[in-house]
Amino acid sequence: MFDKISMKLSSEDKAHKDEVINKLRHRYANYRDPWGFNIETIGKALDLVYPIYKNYFKVRVFGKENVEDTPYILASNHSGQLMPLDGVMITTAFATEVQPPRVLHSMVDTFLAGFPFLGDLTAQTGSILGDRGNCTWLLDQGESVMVFPEGMNGITKNTNEFYEMRRFTNGFFRMALSRGTPILPISVVGAEEMYPFVFNAKKLGRKLGLPTLPLMSNYLPLPSPIDIYIGEPYEVPKDLSPDAPDKEIRKHVYNIEKLVKKNLAYGLKNRRPFFDTVRKPLKEMLFKSKIL
Amino acid sequence: MTDDITEPVEAKRVLIIGIAGGLAQITARLIAQERPDWKVIGVDSRQIKNCDNIKNLECFKIRYSRGNFEKLFREHEFDVVYHLARLSHSKYSGQDLNKRLELSVMGTNRILDLSLRFGVKKLVVLSTFHVYGALSNNTIFLKEDAPLKASMKYPELRDVVEMDQICTNWMWKYQDKMSTVVLRPCNIIGSQISNSMSQYLSSHLAIRPMDYNPVFQFIHEFDMANVLIRSADQLPTGIYNVSTNDFISLREALDVVGTKGIPFPISVADQMNKVLKMTKLDVPEYLIDYLKYSCLISNSHLKSHLGENFYRFKIDQALNLLRM
Repeated sequence: MFDKISMKLSSEDKAHKDEVINKLRHRYANYRDPWGFNIETIGKALDLVYPIYKNYFKVRVFGKENVEDTPYILASNHSGQLMPLDGVMITTAFATEVQPPRVLHSMVDTFLAGFPFLGDLTAQTGSILGDRGNCTWLLDQGESVMVFPEGMNGITKNTNEFYEMRRFTNGFFRMALSRGTPILPISVVGAEEMYPFVFNAKKLGRKLGLPTLPLMSNYLPLPSPIDIYIGEPYEVPKDLSPDAPDKEIRKHVYNIEKLVKKNLAYGLKNRRPFFDTVRKPLKEMLFKSKIL
Repeated sequence: MTDDITEPVEAKRVLIIGIAGGLAQITARLIAQERPDWKVIGVDSRQIKNCDNIKNLECFKIRYSRGNFEKLFREHEFDVVYHLARLSHSKYSGQDLNKRLELSVMGTNRILDLSLRFGVKKLVVLSTFHVYGALSNNTIFLKEDAPLKASMKYPELRDVVEMDQICTNWMWKYQDKMSTVVLRPCNIIGSQISNSMSQYLSSHLAIRPMDYNPVFQFIHEFDMANVLIRSADQLPTGIYNVSTNDFISLREALDVVGTKGIPFPISVADQMNKVLKMTKLDVPEYLIDYLKYSCLISNSHLKSHLGENFYRFKIDQALNLLRM
C-alpha cells in the first residue's frame, strides 16, 4: 500500500524534474532580483517538493494550454491555514507542467518576509513582499507574479467556511492595469481539506501578535488530492487608468472572482474523493491479505 | 525636487568640512588632479593626518562652533562648500548621542547659516541612505521622496535624520539664494575609509547571518568622491540617492571579499543584544536590522543628470578592492 504514497519519484518523474531544473537554470542564468533570488535554491526546493507534489497531493493541472510565454498576474483562491501550501503547489505546477517552465513570484505578507530563515528561503525561491512597487518591478523584468487577492482572510477559514471565497481586493488589478498584464484566474480544489477541522482563534492570535491562530485537528497536512484549474487569461482594458475609481475597477475584479468561482465549482463536482489516495491502497492491501 | 539645471558654478574656492575623514581626503586628491585651478581649504575638529601631500589643499583644525570657523567663510568667500562632517554613528552611548546631535544637527545648522550669509554658491551635503531605515516592509529602490523612517524605529538615528531634514528644509527655503545638493549614498566602501561597513566586510570576525540574507548596494570610495566633485557643477538643487545599478546579497558580498566570518543567527543576536544592554556592551539595534532587512535605493534621479554609466567600479570590483 505505502508505495502508493511513497515519496520516491519514478524514474520518469525524476528525469522530468531534472530536465525542468536544467531548463530553469538556463532561463534564469542572467536573472537577478533585489530580494536574493537563487536558482540553485529553487533546484533544491524542487528536489524536495516535487515528490510531495506528485505522490502525496497527487496534483493534477487543468488548462495548461491557456498559458503562453508571457508575464501574467495569477489570481487564485487561497487556503491552507498556517502553511498555505496551495501557493507552493501552484508554483510547482508552473515550474514543472507549464511550457516553458517558469518560476512564479508569490507576494507574501510582511510577517513571513521578516521571519528568520523562512523569509530568506522564500526570497531565494522567488517570493517577494506584497507591494505594488515590487510587483511592477518584476513585471517589467518579464516575470509572472502570483497573488491571493483574498489576503489573510482567505487562509483563516473555519471548517464550515471551506470554499467560501472572500471578496477579492482591487490592488492586483491596478498593478495589472499599470503594465497591461493579463490576469490568469486560478482555482485550487483540495487544499482546504489538508486541515479538515479548524477553528480560528483570531482574537487570541492578535493578542499574541500573530496574524492568525488556527486550532486544528492536525498540524501536518493530510494527503488531500489537489486539482489546479488555470482559466483563460483575462485581458485588462487598455482605456482604464490604474488610478481609476474603485467602482470602475470593481466590476473587473468581480469578473475575475466569478471566473475563479466557476472553475472552483466545476472542480468541486469533479474532484477525487477525499482520502482516496490513502483509502484505496489500504483497501487493496486488506483485500490481498484476506482480512476483508 | 526640481529638475531645472542651474548655471554651472565656476568653482575656484572650495571648503571641505570634515577633511580628517577618508572620503574627504580622496575628494581633495581628486580635485587636485581633475580641477587643478580649484583652491581647497579643509577643516576638521579632529586631528588631521595624511593631508600634507595633497596639492592645493590647506588644512585647519577648527571647532565648527568657534569664531575662527566663521572667519574662514568671511575671508575666503567660498564658491563651493562640501559638508562631509557627519559624525559616524557606529558606536552608541548616551554621551555619543549628545555629541552627535551637537555636531550633526547644531553644526550643520551653523554651516548652512554661514554658507548663506557669506554668499556660497553651492553647498553639497553628504547624508546617508540610513535615513530611510532598514525595515522588513521596505519596498525596493526607494526614491528620494520616500519617508525617512529610520528615526521612527531607532531613536539613536535621529541625529542622522534631523541633519538630513534640516538641510532639505533649508535647501527649499533658500533655493533662490544658494544651490544646495543633498546626497544620500548607499554603503560607501574602500580601503581608505574606515567606516563600519568597510570594516565589517573585511573582518574575519564579522557575523555571517544564517537566518537572513539582505541585499545591499555598495559604491566605491573613488566613485563617491567623483560624484561629490561633479555635484558642484552638474547637479541642480535637490536630493539625490547615490548608488550603483547593481546589488548583491550580504553572503555573496562576504564571499567576494573573501571573508568567511562567523555564521550566527541574527534573530538570536537580537535577543542577546537585549541582555547585553544591561551590561552596556550592546550594539545599536538598528545595526542588527541592517543585517536583516534590505534598504535599496533608486539612483534614477542622479542618472538623469550624470548619465547612465558614470561609475568606474562595478559592485564586485569595489568589493574585490577591499581584499587589498
